[in-house]
Amino acid sequence: MKAESCRDWRLSLGAYALGHLSVEERAGLEAHLEGCPECRSEAESLKSLGRLLPLADPARFTHPTPKPAPELGERIASTIGAEKRREKRRRRWQIGFGFAGAAAAATAAVLAVLVLPGGGASEPSQNVAFASLPPGVDISATLQPHAYGTEIHMYVTGMRSGTLCRVFLRGPHGERVPAGTFRYRWGDDNEAVLSSALDLSRTRAIGVHAGSKTFVAAVQSAGAAETENHNQEDAT
Amino acid sequence: MTPGALSRERDVREAYAAHSGELYGFAMRSLGDSGLAEEAVQETFVRAWRAGERFDPQIGSLRTWLFAILRNVVIDLGRARSARPSVAEGGVEPSVEPLEEALLSWQVEEAMRRIGDEHRRVLVETHYLGRPYSEVAAELGVPEGTVKSRVYYGLRALRVVLEEMGYEG
Repeated sequence: MKAESCRDWRLSLGAYALGHLSVEERAGLEAHLEGCPECRSEAESLKSLGRLLPLADPARFTHPTPKPAPELGERIASTIGAEKRREKRRRRWQIGFGFAGAAAAATAAVLAVLVLPGGGASEPSQNVAFASLPPGVDISATLQPHAYGTEIHMYVTGMRSGTLCRVFLRGPHGERVPAGTFRYRWGDDNEAVLSSALDLSRTRAIGVHAGSKTFVAAVQSAGAAETENHNQEDAT
Repeated sequence: MTPGALSRERDVREAYAAHSGELYGFAMRSLGDSGLAEEAVQETFVRAWRAGERFDPQIGSLRTWLFAILRNVVIDLGRARSARPSVAEGGVEPSVEPLEEALLSWQVEEAMRRIGDEHRRVLVETHYLGRPYSEVAAELGVPEGTVKSRVYYGLRALRVVLEEMGYEG
């Protein structure tokens, strides 16, 4: 008998917890709650749930859940893949320098890459910093020689997310050789890996078209007697 | 799952399949811009992958951990956006409510979406719109007692969904 009467009362517990019952209905239900610990604890639980309801905005939850673009998963996978490859290269560098102790090697490798002056065919890579950039924007590049041409790592921060960047290298006669495109996305992973057919030894400058601007930085490669020094030029 | 369970790319893909929808939903609610929300989700998974070795399922669920990272990413994005107003062009003003509250609000809204249509309908009509049960009953063509019991079962369903989502009320 008790179970049955509980069932009847229980169906009112939602309205009770939300404060929807009339005074008489509430009085009747509370008399039952006095003697029924199970219903009482259920009422308490629903009341605390009821206190959450004002946090939700019905204008939001009556629309379906928004979904991310289907290609987002792939974008994340390729970002992580790129970072993984970069990490591997970094480790190779550490081994190449032959230092014992990972921390010392890491520091030394980074310093060596950054400090080595330009010039010399044996130079493994070139670091290029772009100057005269808009406030908050930072662009730098690392160029590595290969048999096929030059591998270019672009590091960009501070641009408007989604900005399309077109990269080119400039040869000894001022000719432009395309080096691919990338899109700058906000985040910590700001590296884009590109390549160009122009040999690093013949590369005099690297340029980036970003938005309506073109930024150019000189490359101090072997045999680069004349270097270009203008960092910014008008869009072409 | 073992500690460091998010250190492989495959684990990230699985985590993405399981949790990206929710993370994006919350990012979207907080940032009000689909581009920024996608960036936030991307950044969350990249950070999670980088810190994958530190993830310990003994301490908390992967979902909770990802939400904690997303929370920080949303804060960082909000800061970056206020420092660079051009990024917000065309977007919606950043949410002003505190992030913890935004997270809870989002959870309740998401739970509301997941309960049945009939349950959601009576909760909206009676509670959010404050309409009398008799009126709602007449509109739905059911007895008033049915509206009352749907409110009860609707709340119970909401509780179950919230618990599944990790809410510990």
